[in-house]
Amino acid sequence: MKRFTKMVYKKPEEMVFGRSKFPVSQRWNMQFGAGYVVPEVKVAPVEGSEGSKEKMVAECRNIAQSACERAIAVGLPSFMLEQEHVSHQTNNPEWAAETTRVQAEILEKYYEEYGIRVSLRQTPADIRIEERGLGLRGSDYDNNIEETMEACAANGASDLCIETMGGKALSDYGIARGDIRAILFGIGVLGSIDMEYMWKRIVNICKKYDCRPGGDTDCSQANTAMFMAGGLLDKDVSHTVAALARGMGAARSLVAVECGAVGPLKDCGYENPIVKSISGVPIAMEGKNAVCAHSDLMGNLVCGVTDVWSNESVYHRQEMGGTTPEVWLQATGYEAALMNTALQTGQEEVLRDLYTLTDKYRDPQALILAYDNAHRIGKAIVKYGKDPYLRSRAAALEAGKIINEAVDANKLYLTRFERDSLDNTLKILEDLPADRDQFIDECIRAYSRKVPDFNPKNYEL
Amino acid sequence: MSYNEELEPKIDQDFVAVRYNVELEGPAITPENDPDVQAILPKDEPYRSIARAVLRGDTEESTIKVKEGLNSGIPPMDIINNGLMKGMDAVNELYTKGFYFLPDLMLSGDSMMEGLKESEEALGHKSETKGTVVSFVAEGDPHDIGKNLVVMFLRANGYNAIDLGRDVPNEDVVNAVREYKPLFMTGTALMTTTMTAFPKVVEELEKNGLEVPAIGCGGGAVRKDFIESFPMSVYGVKAYHTPKLADSILKDKKTWKEIRKKYSKIVGEFVPEYD
Repeated sequence: MKRFTKMVYKKPEEMVFGRSKFPVSQRWNMQFGAGYVVPEVKVAPVEGSEGSKEKMVAECRNIAQSACERAIAVGLPSFMLEQEHVSHQTNNPEWAAETTRVQAEILEKYYEEYGIRVSLRQTPADIRIEERGLGLRGSDYDNNIEETMEACAANGASDLCIETMGGKALSDYGIARGDIRAILFGIGVLGSIDMEYMWKRIVNICKKYDCRPGGDTDCSQANTAMFMAGGLLDKDVSHTVAALARGMGAARSLVAVECGAVGPLKDCGYENPIVKSISGVPIAMEGKNAVCAHSDLMGNLVCGVTDVWSNESVYHRQEMGGTTPEVWLQATGYEAALMNTALQTGQEEVLRDLYTLTDKYRDPQALILAYDNAHRIGKAIVKYGKDPYLRSRAAALEAGKIINEAVDANKLYLTRFERDSLDNTLKILEDLPADRDQFIDECIRAYSRKVPDFNPKNYEL
Repeated sequence: MSYNEELEPKIDQDFVAVRYNVELEGPAITPENDPDVQAILPKDEPYRSIARAVLRGDTEESTIKVKEGLNSGIPPMDIINNGLMKGMDAVNELYTKGFYFLPDLMLSGDSMMEGLKESEEALGHKSETKGTVVSFVAEGDPHDIGKNLVVMFLRANGYNAIDLGRDVPNEDVVNAVREYKPLFMTGTALMTTTMTAFPKVVEELEKNGLEVPAIGCGGGAVRKDFIESFPMSVYGVKAYHTPKLADSILKDKKTWKEIRKKYSKIVGEFVPEYD
């Protein structure tokens, strides 16, 4: 497997929304990163639809049809429909085959009738339960994921994604306690190992069909830290620790690309600007138009270098402006139209910089994802590119350095909790062993009893 | 010239993004100097040292002090009630005031639990608690950090929290009610399609003639209107509300219907979903 040891983007200012070094083409005349931004919509199946295959198929059909109708009604030139599976879909590959097929048929119909560029992303759920035997490898759950991936690819998915959960038991433990070593072990080491296991199989499946391997996201780990960190006044997780976890998440999510994923990388991967700077693949992002799903402190900034603009997820129900697939596609569609207008008029760098500056000093988590800082973290990662442990640690250290520089320049102010936790975690990170095996041995000894769900055999350790 | 040099200096952040957390931060405190903590911490040894170790989240120290106390012949229940739990009371006080954060609470909880384990070994059986609460993650749902926090908050407040784990079959939840007869129950889910396990659990409980004073349901995509569409349930907003809800059942004999009406009052804060 190749590892990134050099940056594809040599300078941060080369990065901009709607353009990537390695654009991706799909069926239905869709390109990503080829000079325009594509809006995305994603809607969670309504409660009760999991009751039968027929109900789930009807639900997915409804979501796709609603999105297509609104896209035409407001004149969108393109859009991506993503269906994140509920566990019932992934547990029953025949459900996934049928839900994918009906959605693909609807998108194709609209493509043929109106010429609208469309894409169908299918994201099977990571339903593996680590503590049940070798839950991550070769369990029934694991086999169902593989079968479902194939069912989606065979029935019209444009690309496949997943949010892998490897290492989550460790990172959850660490995030709740501010234990940066556990977070690094969970994200940088275990997460990276599990992604490699999962993504080699996904890439092989995609090779058999007209279906692209999209990408992963550190949703289960770095986003857990971000969501628990919450707003400015929340008192659960330090925002500086969450920023460092995000840096590590980039080193981890890069593994999908190293295994052959081509993008657009998954929308909830807030680490994606870093991965784009390293690998040049197109990315999906979410922010201010994902407030229907969750809050963040970088709603504009994450538009800066994205290629797909997503709403993340929303209940399937009616709003005053229509059903949620209609309403939220319209929201992401108008934002993409602004970015595309900037691209068409040569103002993309201005808009990118304005997006970035609105949030850059709102929070340390935003600061490290500003495209220039994302590029710096990318460079720290590729310096140790061959070793997922060392590069994750380097990413976190660089993120800490960026925060400290902004503080020293009186551009960002930290609370005592953020300041103290940053100082403590940076010291721990600096003192960690330079040898991966030594680090792993120490962590297995330290956490096997404290984190009962963790089984080293799931990672072949 | 980069945007940092060209555009950034022109921005007055007061019109763009205000870091209220920094603006409003009060003076630093030393935990043990807080008057309420001083009132809670025991004066006598070894209880004071045990409680202080818990307050600092120092598991090694709390375990050593608990062992020393047990070896000197102090009854394990005294170690638990006068040392470990006093330390946790002080931690809860600081967390409520906003001086302590979740990691402080978790590390102190770990220290308390290790000391408790030592004490219970000496005791030869489980110690008495305020009551039993059963916690589970809905069938089909592997996301358990919310449940883990709930369990930690309950244990930190003196409850015996039975952790059934994640992706728990509805039947196992019903069996746990039969076995433990809990004072309270919590269920968490991240997805719209897994939260449907909650009414199914309630239906099974009713079929089997079982009842729980209340089942607190919460998590990612869980909505209040859905939770209130079936009986026995209460929509839980924050993990740290859980012990307060349990207290309301234990001390004030509140029912699920009453908790729904008085949620904000019970947890003692403004809750947009209820107010």
